[in-house]
Parts: sequence; C-alpha cells; structure tokens
Amino acid sequence: MNASLIWLIFRKELTDLFRDRKTVIGAFVIPIAVIPAIFFLVSVSMSGVEEDARANVSLVILGDVEQPLGQRLLQTEGVKRLQPDDPLASLHEGEVRAIVTIPDDLERHLRQNGSEQIRVRYDAANDKSVYAYDLIQRVIADYEQEVVAERLQAAGLEPSVIHPLELVEESVASEAKMTGKLLSGIVPLMLILSLATGGIAAATDLVAGEKERGTMEALISAPVPAGSILTAKLLTVMVMSGISSVAALVSSSLIIQVGPFSANDGGFALGFLGIGSILLLVLILLLLAAMFAGLELAISTWAKTFKEAQTYMTPVLFAAMVPSYMMLPLVPADIPLLYYVLPIFNGSALCKEIFFGEVQPLHVVCTLLSSLVYVAAVIWLAAALFRREKLLIH
Amino acid sequence: MIELDSVTKRFERLTAVERVSLQIQSGEVLGLLGENGAGKTTLMRMMATILTPTEGEIVINGFSVRHQQVEVRRQIGILFGGEIGLYNRLTARENIAYFGQLYGIAPDRLARRIEELSEMLEMQDYLDRRVGGFSRGMKQKVAIARVLVHDPQIVLLDEPTTGLDVGAASIFRALIRQMKAAGKTILFSSHHMGEIEKLCDRVAIMHCGRLCYEGTLPRLRAMYGFTDLDELFLQVLEKEGER
Ligand SMILES: Nc1ncnc2c1ncn2[C@@H]1O[C@H](COP(=O)(O)OP(=O)(O)O)[C@@H](O)[C@H]1O
Ligand SMILES: [Mg+2]
Repeated sequence: MNASLIWLIFRKELTDLFRDRKTVIGAFVIPIAVIPAIFFLVSVSMSGVEEDARANVSLVILGDVEQPLGQRLLQTEGVKRLQPDDPLASLHEGEVRAIVTIPDDLERHLRQNGSEQIRVRYDAANDKSVYAYDLIQRVIADYEQEVVAERLQAAGLEPSVIHPLELVEESVASEAKMTGKLLSGIVPLMLILSLATGGIAAATDLVAGEKERGTMEALISAPVPAGSILTAKLLTVMVMSGISSVAALVSSSLIIQVGPFSANDGGFALGFLGIGSILLLVLILLLLAAMFAGLELAISTWAKTFKEAQTYMTPVLFAAMVPSYMMLPLVPADIPLLYYVLPIFNGSALCKEIFFGEVQPLHVVCTLLSSLVYVAAVIWLAAALFRREKLLIH
Repeated sequence: MIELDSVTKRFERLTAVERVSLQIQSGEVLGLLGENGAGKTTLMRMMATILTPTEGEIVINGFSVRHQQVEVRRQIGILFGGEIGLYNRLTARENIAYFGQLYGIAPDRLARRIEELSEMLEMQDYLDRRVGGFSRGMKQKVAIARVLVHDPQIVLLDEPTTGLDVGAASIFRALIRQMKAAGKTILFSSHHMGEIEKLCDRVAIMHCGRLCYEGTLPRLRAMYGFTDLDELFLQVLEKEGER
C-alpha cells in the first residue's frame, strides 16, 4: 500500500466518475429530488387528512337546534350543518361526519335539574368522523360544566366541591424530542438507502466496467499493488455513497423545515443534535458506507460483465431496505439487543437512538464493534476476489 | 532480455500454454504467431505478471515474474489486443499521464515524454480531446503512447496492428524500428504472418499452447520450401497436427 498511489488513483476515479452523467444523477439527483418528493407526498397526504378533518366537520343535527347546545355546536369552528334526505346513509358514505340528536325539551329539563341523553352517531372506522365525535364530545362537556356550575351556584356551593382533583397535564417531550421522533423514523431510512444506492453506479463502473473496457488489465500491469488499487476504489465508492447520503440528509432537513411538518420546529431540523451525537452519527454512517462499498465492490469484482454486476446489485438495495423498514415503527425501547449486532440493522437502530436522543453506551459498543467486523469481512472478500486470476475473464 | 523456461499455464482443466521455452535478446524483435486460442495472450500476460505460471519460470531482465513482480512491471510495457483499454471520459493526455504517474515519472519529465510521443505518433491534434469520440486507429495510437510512456525496456505488443489504418501502421512500424535500434526487447504477436515479415528478426509459432517452431524466417523458408509466408505458417501448423 502506498498513500500517494492511492491518492492518485482515487483522484482519477473521481474525475472519471464526475464526467459521467449517469453516476452523477445516481448520486445526487435521486436523493435530492426523489426522496424529498416521496417524503413530501406522504406528509402532504397525511396532513391533508388532518386538515380536512378540522376544516370540514359536516354534521347533521336533529331536533331543536335553536336551543343553546345546538347553537354552540353550530358556532364551533369548522362545523357545517347538512340536511341530507337520508342522514344515516350519508354518514356511511362519509359525506356526513356525525349525527347529533338534541332532544326537543333539553333546555327545559336542564332548568328543572333533570338529565337527558344526547345521541351521537359516528363512524369509528373513519378518522375524520372520529375527529368530529371528539369535537362534539368537547362541546358537550364544556356545556355540561357550565350547567353544573350554575346548579352548584344555585345551591350555594363552589365548583371545586365536586371537583376535588384537578389533572394538570404536561408533556416532558421537548420540541427537539418531537422533531427527533419524527426524524428518527424517516431519516435513518433515507440515509441508509442513499448510502446503499449512492455507491452502486460507481462500484459497478470501477471494477466490472473497467474489466469490460480492458482498462483493468492495463491498471494491474502497472507497478501498483492490488491493495492500493482496491483501497482507492473503495474510498471512491464511499465518497459517492457519502455524497449521496449527505444530499439526502440536507434535502430532507430542508423539506422538514419548509414542508407541512414545519410547525414542529423553527430552526434547522438537525440543530437539536449535540456535537457528540453528530460525531457518532458520522462514524456509524462511515462504517455503513465502508460496508456497502466493500460489498458492492466485491459484487462488481465477482460479476463477469457490467450487466451482470448491475443485476447483482439489486439485492444490496433490498439488504438496505428491509432492515430500515423493519426499524421504522419501532421506538428505541422496543429494539431487541440482537438488532445492534446484525448488519445494517445495527446502524439503522443506532441512528434511531441518536435521533431520539436516547443513546445507550452498550448499544454504541455493540454497533461499532459488529460493524467493524462486517466491514473487515466484506473488504477481505472484495480483496480475495480482486486478487483472483479470474478477474480477467470476460 | 526475456527468458522463458518450460512455462506452463493451466486454467482448471484447459492447458493454455504448455512447456514453452524461449529467449528473446535485447535489440531483437520476435514475432509470435498462432491462430486464435493458441495461447499467445496468456503467454504475454504471464510475462507481464498479470497471470502466474502454473509451472516453469520467466525471467525479465534478471527479475523473476514470481518473486519480483514490481521490478518486472517497471521493465515492461504491454499493449493488449481486443479491448483497447483507455478511459473514454479522460482526454488522450490524461490517459497517458495517468499511467505515467502510476509508473512514478516526475511531472516535468512526464510532460516532455507526452509531447515526444504525441509528435512521434502524430496525435497532437487530438491530445486534449476525450478519447470516447476517437476512431479505433486514434485510440490505438493513444494506447501505444500509454504503453511506452515509461520508456520500457521490454515491449509486449499483443496483435497491435488490428484496427490501424495504413498511415498509422507505417508510423507504428517506424516506431518499432526505432525502439529496436534503441536496444529494446520486443515481442509482437499476430495471427497472420504478413505483418511479422516486415519487422521481425525471428518468429515463434504457437499451436494449442505449444511452441512448434522457433527460428529465423530464412531458416523457416529453407525447412518448408515455401516463399508465401501465410502458406508457410499453415504448413507448420499442419505438420504439428500430424504429430
Ligand atoms: N483467464 C482464463 N481462464 C480460462 N481460460 C482462459 C483464460 N484466458 C485464456 N483462456 C483460454 O486459454 C486458451 C488460450 O487463449 P489465449 O492465450 O487468449 O490465445 P490467443 O491469444 O493466442 O488467441 C484459450 O482456449 C482461452 O479460451
Ligand atoms: Mg490473444
């Protein structure tokens, strides 16, 4: 191994790759354009549902609407009164969110210290209908409280007599943590996917491509140790992966900032991570990048042709995707220890902890050590394949 | 000087080169003849340390291909047949310079060497253009310049004239004569005899991995009594087939 030779080959590989539109598109355009686009579509459709649920609470109010409760419901923000021919059918179709029946002499009964039933029909399977039900419940509860207060006053009692306990609710999740929760799901997925995809074009080109074009033979006939060639190529693939994941990180951070999630945080989405977390994140991403690069180079070396290499790269994508998707619904507390030593799972799980702000030293040690083992194994494999004489068969 | 001593190369079951012994002196041009699949490329790859002999030894200017690979590689410039082996997205100059740097040539010497080669091969007009758009003949010239950039003592040319136009072929012949005069050892392979006649002092004919004739052209002619070289080549092969 010779540092200046590695540097020479590395520089040449990058120059060569950056002159290739395919590789540049693969490394930049996919993370910068496609990933945020997906992100955006998902979030827009998610918040679209929520917004619509808030803005259009179409209710059917049966009975005497002129009574105070009816008026309150109608004055609630977002509520619209519909009067379809068949309210129940409309509720099933989702056109009406809920049907409220107000008894005709509700007000009179209440004045006489009586009680009444208010029937609310809604569709528990429809999120928007559930939202409408919650809203109605709140309006009714508020109204009930007022009625109770009036009755107590009439009896010369304080409201606290029947409310000896008051619940004071306070979420300890800071805004940073809320952002982290959101990011901990999506960002590791995107980072790991872009690490895997970012290097594929380069790895395919750098060995299988060179073999096919005959330049590999020229390269290995020069007085350059095979280890230096492979190291330079490995670094090149890692750089392409790294660029790709940085692009994904920046673009998703921007999208979180300007997108529909922006209500959650004002500043740069990653601002909440401490320097230690960022360093750990960089370290684990480097290890993952090295592992993907080694794996992709091994595949590219093993393949007989460029086309064959491209075909064999597809499983790498799955190997990256499956663990990241499996990790998506989990919170750090739910992640089994085993995951911190399985390849790709480990990095994905640790990323999650970092974004959650709940990094556990044992998990860090497991992840880093197991990752090092995997990196060493794939690089050893790539080197063994690279030194075979079969390298030259095509 | 190249010394081959009973060199054999087997790929799994196939024996591509079998017990070939041969010596090529400095200042000599040897023509290596043989049909496709005869083992010419495999033999040259072993000389260039790209493949390791299964048996036997090859010594290049005193360095063993088994034990002194880096030294051997410094002695050798090898031009491959088949794919030309240039980086299409780099310019001609960048391609040549990259290999010059891999051989550790100092920058100013390298720049001078590239000028010299491009003048010799008449490629100044396209030296700074990307190789991707070149014709086969232009690429072949760049490849030759790349092979010669470190001024190797030993030049292995695997079917070098394939794809060269008439003009380029004559430039190429002049270059070989010049290298011969400079005392280089040159091995030149081909599957037809015509090219070899113009340049080579001696010929070696390979068939199915074995060396079946080795000697000067006049001696070959005397042995077989033919004057047409391609005819002669076929006769040797036929005789080899009978054995
Ligand atoms: N790397 C390899 N693996 C297996 N067989 C090979 C390899 N290289 C060459 N061969 C076989 O060895 C024989 C000689 O090939 P080669 O040296 O290329 O012949 P030539 O250059 O004279 O056409 C052929 O049968 C070829 O298929
Ligand atoms: Mg050949």
